[in-house]
Amino acid sequence: MRGRSLRAALGWSAWLGLATVAVADGPVDPAAVEFFEKRVRPILVERCVGCHGPEKAKGDLRLDSRAGAIAGGATGPAVEPGDADASPLVEAIRYEGDVRMPPKSKLAQEEIDVLTQWVAKGAPWGPEPEKAAAAPVKGALDGSPEFARRAAFWSFQPIRAVEPPAVDGDWSRGAIDRFLLSALRAKGLEPAPEAERRTLIRRLAFDLTGLPPTPAEVAAFLADDAPDAYERLVDRLLASPAYGERWARHWLDLVRFAETSGHEFDYDILNAWRYRDYVVRALNDDLPYDQFIVEHLAGDLLPEPRRNPLDGSNESIQGTGFFWLGEGVHSPLDVRDEGVRRVDNQIDVMSKTFLGLTVSCARCHDHKFDPISTRDYYALAGFLRSTRIQQAFVDSDVRIAPIVADLEARKAALASLLAEAAPRLPEPRRSEVEALLRRPEPAAWAAPAGRPAPEDLSTWRSTGDAFAARPETPFRIEPSRLVAAPAGSLGSGLVSDRLQGVVRSPTFTIAGRRLHVLAGGTGGRLNLVIDGFEKIRGPIYDGLTVPVNHPQAPHWITLDVTTWVGHRAFLEVCDGASADFGGATAEPVDGRGRVDVLAVRASDDPAPPAIEVPAEVAVDAAALVRDLEAVDSPLAERVATALAEYREVESRIPAPALAPAAIDGDGEDEFVMLRGSPRTLGEAAPRKLLAVLGGGGPSPGAVGSGRLELARAMVDPEADPLIARVIVNRLWQHHFGVGLVRSADDFGAMGQAPSHPELLDWLASEFVRRGWSLKAMHRLMVESSAYRMAARATPEADRADPTNALLHRANVRRLEAEAVRDALLAVSGRLDRRAGGPSVPSYLSPFMDGRGRPKESGPLDGDGRRSLYLQVRRNFLNPLFLVFDAPVPASTMGRRHASNVPAQALALLNDPLVIQLAETWAARSLADDATDAAQVGRLYQEAFARPPTAEEVGRCVAYLEARRSAGPADEKAAWADLAHALFNVKEFVYVD
Amino acid sequence: MHCGRFSTPIDRRRMLARCANGFGAVALSALLRERAFAAEPSASGLHHAAKAKSVIFLYMDGGPSQMDTFDPKPRLDREHGQPIKVKTAPTQFNNVGAVLKCPWKFRRYGECGAPVSDLFPNVARHVDEMAIVRSMTSEFSEHTAANYFLHTGSGLQGRPSHGAWTTYGLGSESKDLPGFVVLNGGLIPPGGMDCFSNGFLPAAYQGSVFRPAAEAVANIRPAESAPGGQLRKLDLVRDLDRGVADRMGRPDALEAAIANYELAYRMQSAVPGLMDLDGESAATKKLYGLDEDFEPTRIFGRECLIARRLVERGVRFVEVLCPSVGHDRWDQHSDLKNGHERNARAVDRPIAGLLSDLKGRGLLDSTLVFWGGEFGRTPMAQGSDGRDHNPFGFTVWLAGGGIKGGVTHGETDDYGYHAVVDKVAMYDLHATMLHLLGLDHKRLTFRFGGRDMRLTDVHGELIAPIVA
Repeated sequence: MRGRSLRAALGWSAWLGLATVAVADGPVDPAAVEFFEKRVRPILVERCVGCHGPEKAKGDLRLDSRAGAIAGGATGPAVEPGDADASPLVEAIRYEGDVRMPPKSKLAQEEIDVLTQWVAKGAPWGPEPEKAAAAPVKGALDGSPEFARRAAFWSFQPIRAVEPPAVDGDWSRGAIDRFLLSALRAKGLEPAPEAERRTLIRRLAFDLTGLPPTPAEVAAFLADDAPDAYERLVDRLLASPAYGERWARHWLDLVRFAETSGHEFDYDILNAWRYRDYVVRALNDDLPYDQFIVEHLAGDLLPEPRRNPLDGSNESIQGTGFFWLGEGVHSPLDVRDEGVRRVDNQIDVMSKTFLGLTVSCARCHDHKFDPISTRDYYALAGFLRSTRIQQAFVDSDVRIAPIVADLEARKAALASLLAEAAPRLPEPRRSEVEALLRRPEPAAWAAPAGRPAPEDLSTWRSTGDAFAARPETPFRIEPSRLVAAPAGSLGSGLVSDRLQGVVRSPTFTIAGRRLHVLAGGTGGRLNLVIDGFEKIRGPIYDGLTVPVNHPQAPHWITLDVTTWVGHRAFLEVCDGASADFGGATAEPVDGRGRVDVLAVRASDDPAPPAIEVPAEVAVDAAALVRDLEAVDSPLAERVATALAEYREVESRIPAPALAPAAIDGDGEDEFVMLRGSPRTLGEAAPRKLLAVLGGGGPSPGAVGSGRLELARAMVDPEADPLIARVIVNRLWQHHFGVGLVRSADDFGAMGQAPSHPELLDWLASEFVRRGWSLKAMHRLMVESSAYRMAARATPEADRADPTNALLHRANVRRLEAEAVRDALLAVSGRLDRRAGGPSVPSYLSPFMDGRGRPKESGPLDGDGRRSLYLQVRRNFLNPLFLVFDAPVPASTMGRRHASNVPAQALALLNDPLVIQLAETWAARSLADDATDAAQVGRLYQEAFARPPTAEEVGRCVAYLEARRSAGPADEKAAWADLAHALFNVKEFVYVD
Repeated sequence: MHCGRFSTPIDRRRMLARCANGFGAVALSALLRERAFAAEPSASGLHHAAKAKSVIFLYMDGGPSQMDTFDPKPRLDREHGQPIKVKTAPTQFNNVGAVLKCPWKFRRYGECGAPVSDLFPNVARHVDEMAIVRSMTSEFSEHTAANYFLHTGSGLQGRPSHGAWTTYGLGSESKDLPGFVVLNGGLIPPGGMDCFSNGFLPAAYQGSVFRPAAEAVANIRPAESAPGGQLRKLDLVRDLDRGVADRMGRPDALEAAIANYELAYRMQSAVPGLMDLDGESAATKKLYGLDEDFEPTRIFGRECLIARRLVERGVRFVEVLCPSVGHDRWDQHSDLKNGHERNARAVDRPIAGLLSDLKGRGLLDSTLVFWGGEFGRTPMAQGSDGRDHNPFGFTVWLAGGGIKGGVTHGETDDYGYHAVVDKVAMYDLHATMLHLLGLDHKRLTFRFGGRDMRLTDVHGELIAPIVA
């Protein structure tokens, strides 16, 4: 149905020419005019013109003139005079197609008949001066004066080289302080005094590592008299692996990180944790931020990817995983629409995260406020249309490729032995071995090169090791047989069934109603991916994913694609390294077997082509050795040894490390979708970066998606001043509590203006000058005098700057959800500092219910691992985190709420995890010989990085004594209760 | 970082000074008027006079069939077993069978004479209070997206639920309960907790999911077993907090956090008190069907009774989820007769009881009751005896809270397949609910990601004919 509308949409412009001729030629028939005036015009006036007339022209369509009706609206002409069935207006009033008008109520059948007749009669109109044309299509934003006006907005201007103002006195340690102090003094204010050292180390430790300082760390800092004690503390914290863990969590908020895709069954996004670990490593290694962005957008396309120094694996490609962390519907009715939504989320996340722009607002119409047109939007959408998801092999070239090379050499050697043996073997072995070694002839089933995709198998592209290997010796070694590979095939078992790989066809338009695939093997899967839709399963899509299970001989597999004629699609054949969504959970496709694809045919014929599949050519290994034994025992021995050694080496092939990542499909531009609907397509929008940022991108005709060119254009600070401004503002926000631009994800006209614009530009240019080093910026910020201010200021200053917009003091901040839990673990002594790896399964309380709930709950304390390493399941988000404002992973969340709800108090009071950790803490911290006061002092040092005041000691000891007198003397429980109370003191979750 | 948008910090400080007399000794009304429960940016109050103060949403999970409940279609009887004579759109399972007649009789009820099938003999007695909307539409044929759409006005995950928008707009009138409560009878809808999410709104507005059990919600039971144990602990915490607040310069956020412990303490007794139905008369319990043999009826009856108690306590938005009936939810892809009968049996008496009880207590005028699912069902069979999903036209009804009773709004075609007269979009329904609550859906906005977001996106029109 939609295929028809689509074709219709593309064809309407052609009708326009015909229709105009008809008007010019047709004489006006009085009877027809009467029919129009008496029957037609009243309906139009009453039911149509309200929305399609002089007041409103929805869809740019006006029905108050014949010219308007014929010219139509944004989707093309509405009326084809003389042909009712071809007129979109008639289709709309019949309530049959995608557009149904009038929207609220169908017309009476009689009215529908009248309008249909009217169109069939050539849509005659009454005697009034025909308006020259329908309402003009609203002026496009591109290239308009309005665009120029919007592009003059501050955030799009080049980063200025700003000199920090001169200020008197010795408060300023650097440029940041000079900017801030100058602004404060302009209002007659002075900064708050420097905070105590204990306050500073606690602030720094939480800020840079997300963990409280230990008493030993506090003591060491207090005892350090060197003038650079503070700076060395900063260096130590920045060098800690915990730094990357802390700041990775901030980053994950931006890319709506989750490890499942939500919706009905909450399918796992396989290996999503690798992206999280990639971010941690990149931050700890201080990867230059421009490179970090390039890797996010195009890490799979870099000619020389960055390698992990420890194991040589491909780091760069893992950055692209962020594209695929969004939500996904399990069986959407409209797969194209689902694709549009997926891409919209990708654009939304990408543009907010990197650019601080709400490009997604321009999906249905030009942006209302910013210089971003729908053309800009679809120009970006084209990059994603040209991109597919893969489970990337991140280490196979270093861990598996050498073994494959070894095996190939061994097989070549075996082939030489067999060639030597063949003439001496008895029949039938001799013919079998000769057939095995023969270079195969082009086969009857092989499509000739140049056939359109997907039939020409030479145009398919592989990932991983299994399909990549095309050895000279085209036979495979099975446990008991040697088997010739069929001619012209794509096979994953030539070197070993243990290898995994995926092979994908170019993108093609589904033309015929059937796709026939001649395939053999076992364990793999054949998928037809339509409009990029990956979660192929029933209902609706189960016919598009087929397990390959023909171990003996290849079979024709026929896919019925009638429903999807006209859609863009590609075929993929997976031997492992892909997700299977057929069951209640997403599982990796079995990678143990092998798959051969011999031929693909697209046709309308339900029956596969009548091509005879030849018999398999195989040699029984034992029989071969036995026969050879009889004629040449040493040679038989060598053959047997070669086979045994091959199998031994093969058994050492490890499982590949896989990570979700992007992979190029075929470079295709997206069409501008009128009002955001894939059913109403406009012109193609060539792929490029936003016009306001220079419009860089791939040159026309470039092969592939062009993401690498996009990435390079985006990180060019001359063309794109936003990248640097947006990230330094994010760093500032996390260090000072509020960004210089408060709307961290929106640097557009709807965002907030910078409080200190010169400072922002100074930071941005300094960032670029220092090689995009994030750690350098951290140092600049936290080593400033401004950062070291106390949270308490004079009442006068608080009155003059009540919201602290000028930063006259430090902001008191509540810990983020993850830091609250990490602090509980750290203080209690339960924290397990192991880094990285697969996530700890979510703890599922009895209150967490719903579809997709995992069968098993994870441990209550998450094995003591940092919060970063707890699995993020979209449909089962951690309730403790939610209550402390961890974001729902839907889109970019650069600035969390800091809400204040009683549920937070209830969690700290009654949550079983908190109780358990209080007990752990008390048990660990308690020393038998210490006094109550000394014990209390220790707990305070651990929880708050300071000793208690005398009053605090007094209250705690009084509590203990009251508790002892109230009930049976259980010292452990009494101390656990005190520890629990200290978790609930606000100082535990607030940092000054 | 807290953004410092408390309306009157001075008053609250005075309040907190009084708090020093002891935990639990201070009335909280002043605090609550300041939205301490939702000490967050919130909308600026009523846009116009409200007709309803609260909403009870009876969510019929899975999508009840319109032509088997409130929208009789004689054509189905005439053409039963024949191929359907209109073009059909793709459905979820694409296993389109012949026209399937309604297995139940319809009777006319009330002064308005609205027809209701024998699935709802008890609810039917209230038709003169109900506005039946027969021309409801959705945009999604798949449960999860349709659920998100019904609940949040968007087919995507992670948007604020209508309950979250309502409490954001109106705050809570309850002293010690959250403003948005979801009663979990056993069936969490496909899409899960994101149907009740605060989305991009502050966490204060997220739905609290209560089980109709003694321990209704996580962390509500005090961890301390000894009597007075928690109070002693809270006294200590309060004393220690005072010093902390002074040291940190008494920031608003910290003081609000201190105040929240007072409220949390009260919630610990308020929630069990809410769930304890001992004080309800036998007649009341019977009204809700708590005497029924069929356990799902008792579960749903209990939920409906608790919903009334929540409304009495000033909770803004109550969503009631269905119990499991030993069959599928209202999602009868097969075995329509048995499945719909069991689902209807679970809810019919409790809903009728709820309407009677609300009316008897004078609460119906200020409580908007909304009954509906995420979509309806097809007039043609799926297989031989089921119906597939149908978002093109289905029935919901509303009652109380400013709704004009005895009204039937909109029509579907002769098959009950597509809405054809006075089509109602989900946005219109949301706009109307907000309108009755005194909120203008175009002005109830929250700035997120550079846009002033709305429950109704850029759509929504008041369904004026159903408003009293």
